[in-house]
Amino acid sequence: MPKSKDSSPSEVQIQKSPAEFFAEHQAIAGFDNLGKSLYTSIRELVENSLDACESANILPEISVHVTEYTQKEFNKVAGLAESPRKNANDQELFQKKTKTPKKPPTEPQLTQETNESSTKKRKTASQDAYFRIVVQDNGCGMEHNAIPHLLGKVLSGSKYGVRQTRGKFGLGAKMALIWSKKSSGQPVRIQTAHRRSGTDIPTHCSVCVLDIDISKNEPIIMEHRKYANKENFIGTRMELLIAGNWTTYRSRIVQYIQQLAIITPYAYLQLDYENISEPQRNLQLQYQRRSEQMPPPAATVKHHPSSVNNIIVQQLIQMTRAKNLVKFLSTELASVSPAMAKRLIGELNEVDEEMDPRELTDAHITRLVQLLKRVEIFKAPDGSCLSPLGEYNLNLGIQFVQKPDLIATARDKPAAFEGHPFLVEAAVSLGGKTMKEGITVVRFANRIPLLFESGADVSTRVANSKIKWSSYKIDFKRDKIGVYVSIVSTKIPFKGTSKEYIGDDATEIQQSVKRAIQSCCQQLKVRLVKRTALKDAKERSNRLRKYIPDVSRSLYGILEGMRKRREEGDIHGDEYTSTASPSKRLRLDPQRSNQMIHKLKSGEMNEALITRALNQAIRDHQPQQDEQIIVAEKATPLFLVPLYNLDDPQYDVLDVLFTFRPIQAILNVVSSTSSPETTH
Amino acid sequence: MSSRKRQSTPAVQSQESTTTVSSSKRRVVAIAPDADAVLRECRKLRDAMRSSSNETSDKASRVIPEGVPSSIVEVDELKAPEVLEGMESIALDIAQQVLSGKGFSMEIPSRAATNQLYVKEWDRIVLGGKRSSRSFLNVKESRKAAITLRVLQLIHAVLMKRIHITKRDLFYTDVKLFVDQAESDGVLDDVATMVGCTRSNLNVVASDKGLVVGRVQFIEDGDPIDCTRMGVGGKAIPPYIDKIENITSDAEFILLVEKEAAYMRMAEDRFYHRYPCIIITAKGQPDIATRMFLKRLKEELKIPVLGLVDSDPYGLKILSVYMSGSKNMSYDSSSLTTPDIKWLGLRPSDLDRYDLPDQCRLDMTENDIKTGKELLKEDFIQKNPEWMKELEIMVSDKIELAILYTIGCLVVDKQP
Repeated sequence: MPKSKDSSPSEVQIQKSPAEFFAEHQAIAGFDNLGKSLYTSIRELVENSLDACESANILPEISVHVTEYTQKEFNKVAGLAESPRKNANDQELFQKKTKTPKKPPTEPQLTQETNESSTKKRKTASQDAYFRIVVQDNGCGMEHNAIPHLLGKVLSGSKYGVRQTRGKFGLGAKMALIWSKKSSGQPVRIQTAHRRSGTDIPTHCSVCVLDIDISKNEPIIMEHRKYANKENFIGTRMELLIAGNWTTYRSRIVQYIQQLAIITPYAYLQLDYENISEPQRNLQLQYQRRSEQMPPPAATVKHHPSSVNNIIVQQLIQMTRAKNLVKFLSTELASVSPAMAKRLIGELNEVDEEMDPRELTDAHITRLVQLLKRVEIFKAPDGSCLSPLGEYNLNLGIQFVQKPDLIATARDKPAAFEGHPFLVEAAVSLGGKTMKEGITVVRFANRIPLLFESGADVSTRVANSKIKWSSYKIDFKRDKIGVYVSIVSTKIPFKGTSKEYIGDDATEIQQSVKRAIQSCCQQLKVRLVKRTALKDAKERSNRLRKYIPDVSRSLYGILEGMRKRREEGDIHGDEYTSTASPSKRLRLDPQRSNQMIHKLKSGEMNEALITRALNQAIRDHQPQQDEQIIVAEKATPLFLVPLYNLDDPQYDVLDVLFTFRPIQAILNVVSSTSSPETTH
Repeated sequence: MSSRKRQSTPAVQSQESTTTVSSSKRRVVAIAPDADAVLRECRKLRDAMRSSSNETSDKASRVIPEGVPSSIVEVDELKAPEVLEGMESIALDIAQQVLSGKGFSMEIPSRAATNQLYVKEWDRIVLGGKRSSRSFLNVKESRKAAITLRVLQLIHAVLMKRIHITKRDLFYTDVKLFVDQAESDGVLDDVATMVGCTRSNLNVVASDKGLVVGRVQFIEDGDPIDCTRMGVGGKAIPPYIDKIENITSDAEFILLVEKEAAYMRMAEDRFYHRYPCIIITAKGQPDIATRMFLKRLKEELKIPVLGLVDSDPYGLKILSVYMSGSKNMSYDSSSLTTPDIKWLGLRPSDLDRYDLPDQCRLDMTENDIKTGKELLKEDFIQKNPEWMKELEIMVSDKIELAILYTIGCLVVDKQP
């Protein structure tokens, strides 16, 4: 598709539309192969649905329905007539050139059967199939007129602000659209009901069937109509037909849904897989909602001065309504007050406070950016714009999905990486039926699971090499350790093109992850120690009893030996003299030994008696089981959300463990009924 | 101490003049012609020992010197019935505790490194007065308490039967309880300190390790032994030291050799005929039997002991075990240590004195130097300024006894 021709005939200059670019380089967006394409398509649609629900503050209810078709079935569904092949004898055309070992035709019938079954097996294992994916949510829906643009144009979207979002490039759903066009040629079908506020049932419903013109990066509208919402339809239903491979990525898709259930415990998730030709492979997965607590929606914030670059400043200049530089700097950037803006301008040559920002030259902008990066006194970006899941929800999510024996959660204080605030929440779990021995790291970035490239990820690296597990009484080889790290940020520093992992060269993030995990481990250690103490107390009597036979046999043996020796009159042998001073050496008290010998002779003293006495002693000396331990075992954890950056400490009530601060200042008296908030 | 003067010119001995082969095929080695000259210093030492030995009686050395806590644990040589009585008294005490329904607990002198003292006046390590208790009702100690009682009973039975067993025997008597031989071995020393006897009094012995050859005769359990007629290899030093009696000898000194190879060389050359002596080796770190045997020989024969060890920190350390005792056996150091062993060689200063060629010298490894520097801090080295000097030279060079063969055994011939 040459758009303009250069004078040189050998070099043709081609301009590509974004849609074309991504269609050709689909691996960038996670469409590496058929299996992964299926996985990514599902994932992108699900994440869009979650965003749609959360932006309207609705508890999400998302169902994914995957139907597998063979090519034949697909043709039927897609309305393609099964065209009879003109040359039915040309089998070679469709066969791979492989050598099949010839079997001696001894039992012809049997051989044929096995042949048939083996080809069938190969079919199911490796042959790629077509899938209908239907994702339905109860979110805010899309506005009727905006639908084609939202879905049919690559790199257009609502996620470009400085805000914590799941997606980043406005690419996901559109890539699925491109993939559907590429692999099956089928358009997507969208049914949606847009609602303006959270609760009312929308009056109208839209149906849209979309194709995409890849060379123009424009949607092709095949059907677009609006009708009265009589069936009380809520949310959005997306339906697409793509090629894929379920067998190779089944476990990944299941894992994704499972981890999504951990990180979004306030959502109802459902996955149905249906195989028309082989119903025994059908699969159904359901995760009920466990929490009504939804994290607050993330706020869009202004750029932090330390995170801007030339291009961002230029964009800001284009968009700003500010008429002079002071106003521009103080309104378009975070943490810059008018006074600060004046100080900054004072540092720059050739510009003054009243200058129109649009008059800035490229050189001015470069110098301004350099200055902004050098200044150290800007207030660090705070985490208030972030929307972490919260320890309570994280705990619930893990409890429900993995059912571990022990779990601890922690949240590190917000920090900034390259001018973007981030916040790390971590949980460490021990035990759980489905967990493997050793460390399993589960990673989340902006509340979506990261499944691939775990080896190089910051969380994996920290968990495997930076944490000294043994010092927390955890055996990292044999204990079933689950490490869950959730990082939220206005910009997650992903490595590579696809959103798969965060490099561990982001030092601030690495340290924060380490602190969070360590904090979890410390909590676990306390509980592990208490647990072992409790267990020890229980096992104590058993352990002691084990040695009773040895002790009573030995003790009785010596006493019996003493008796025998006395009878033989050995005690006053002629060799009974040594140079040792008699006072120093241990001597038998004649009275006591005589008593004992008497008892031994009469049978009053015997091995059974010793055994009984020892048993009695063990029973009597059972230390009181520490009631505190038992209480601690039964207690449910209390989750307090830490508040940082509170400015008004004058009504604080300080305690060793926490600080009480009335949210509304109560004058003269600090009442115990004031609503407590804690600060660390 | 090291007042001996060394002859600075090594004299070369001609083998033919001293060695003849008799008709009975027994090699007869005549006394070296320069023996008198060489042994002069040695005899001086011997005479000094014999004249002073009458004054320092056994009891005098028992008096605890000033500055040493009186609580130190020193065990005595006890007769079997006394050991039995001690054990029974312990058992009786335990039985009383058990019957009163309180379980039982034992007080055992601690053999930890922190409880070891070096007594300058005695020139040996002794066990301090710290005690640890072992209670049956304590989960952490109950196993150890059971093992201790079991070992007590086993040894009681052994003593009753008047037999000796080895440590390995003891372990195999109740493998199920002991699990690891280190457990029964360790408890053995606990029992000895509890009763207050030496470990050999418990009739538990280690297997043979030491060798002796040379001009000494004794009766072992009724059999006459002549260590000049023990063939090339010599006699194994028996662990039953109390069965050795009537030690007689015309040797002028005892030569203590670290390496078995050096011992074999001298035994085969019948070195002990050329210079009348008794040669002993424990093949490295000495065991109890060898140490006790050496002590017996020195006390009964009253002849000087000369040590021939590698010129490295380990050689010196081995010498120190003979002289001052080991930390593990410090409770019995009085019957195991032989004070006043003369460090014959190889001294680091010998390297240059005899102009030993470079090929014989090994570089000190980092570990050697570390050990050497630690030795410099030890009391028994610091009390001897000449040794300090040698050790400081040593930290720069090390020499193995094996080099003596490369230069034809001349130095050994030359130097008592």
